[in-house]
Amino acid sequence: MEIATVQGETRQTAGHHANERLRRRGLVPAVIYGHGLPNEYVALSLHDTRLALARMLHVIKLRVDGGEQQYLIKEVQFDHLQQTPIHVDLMRVDVTERVKVRVPLELRGRPRGTLEGGTLVSVITELDVECLLLDIPDGIRAHVEHLGLNEALYVRELTVPPEVKVLNSGNDIVAIVHPPRGTTAAELEAVTEGTAEPEVIGKGAKEDEEGEGGE
Amino acid sequence: MQMPKRVKYRKAQKGRIRGNATRGNTVSFGDYGLQALEPGRVTARHIEAGRVAASHYLAREGRVYVRIFPHKPVSGKPLETRMGKGKGEPAFWTAIVKAGTVLYEVGGIGEEAAKQALLRVAHKMPVRTRFVHRRHSV
Repeated sequence: MEIATVQGETRQTAGHHANERLRRRGLVPAVIYGHGLPNEYVALSLHDTRLALARMLHVIKLRVDGGEQQYLIKEVQFDHLQQTPIHVDLMRVDVTERVKVRVPLELRGRPRGTLEGGTLVSVITELDVECLLLDIPDGIRAHVEHLGLNEALYVRELTVPPEVKVLNSGNDIVAIVHPPRGTTAAELEAVTEGTAEPEVIGKGAKEDEEGEGGE
Repeated sequence: MQMPKRVKYRKAQKGRIRGNATRGNTVSFGDYGLQALEPGRVTARHIEAGRVAASHYLAREGRVYVRIFPHKPVSGKPLETRMGKGKGEPAFWTAIVKAGTVLYEVGGIGEEAAKQALLRVAHKMPVRTRFVHRRHSV
């Protein structure tokens, strides 16, 4: 498993405005918690954080004030465009500790069913797993070439490393090949058909009441 | 074209689009998406044009997800009518889009095909957009 080094600094200030000032300096506010110890407030380098997140890493080595320690990335908040990280939660973990993380699922190959006009729909794109910190897999690869029309790949059929425990139910569908839909013309008709104006909720009842009152 | 089946009120006030999208701003169903970069109104016609453009390009391969729905009625006065005499009749339906909203998603196809399909959709949109990938959580 790959571990990225992220440069950081301790921060004394907290709150919206102080964090905004940090972001303007190219830093990302972060909090470190876990193991029953008091929270620590740090600021990470935006550049290093972006690189670590782009590589979909779960563990980072944080270098603060000359010291270095490993942390698990627990949660990342992004801006409204989902482009820039604006806050990171880091958790203290031991190398011997089992952690629960989400790893990406990668589907390999072109299913047999797509050659017959079907569409491959991936239902689960991430797998919840539990493993030792240093055993976190970069991703789980699943081959889907054997899937025909209306056939699905289940979580129980995935091949995962022996040291990794999958937390999803074995009956969860990872991917399914849907048969081709109805003709495009029929679909278009279904879309264009319908009333010109929607029904107004309670209008009929109100009119009835008014009619009764007027009589 | 899309419109609600039932509504509480036939006409709505114009309103102002404030802030950025805090919901519906991630790729959730497909593998790639088209994200709005500015606020605006996307009418039912735009939405349908985008859907047809993507479906036509993909030629029934992959899957297109439309993530927005025109909930808001916009009223208009008939031509050559004097001002006054009350609010006009509902003319069309729009989806209110904020910066960050994912408008369309595609799945089950490669990145290059998705880019080409969503580029065609982007040309139909009344707001600036960008192509985005699904991002895996940590």
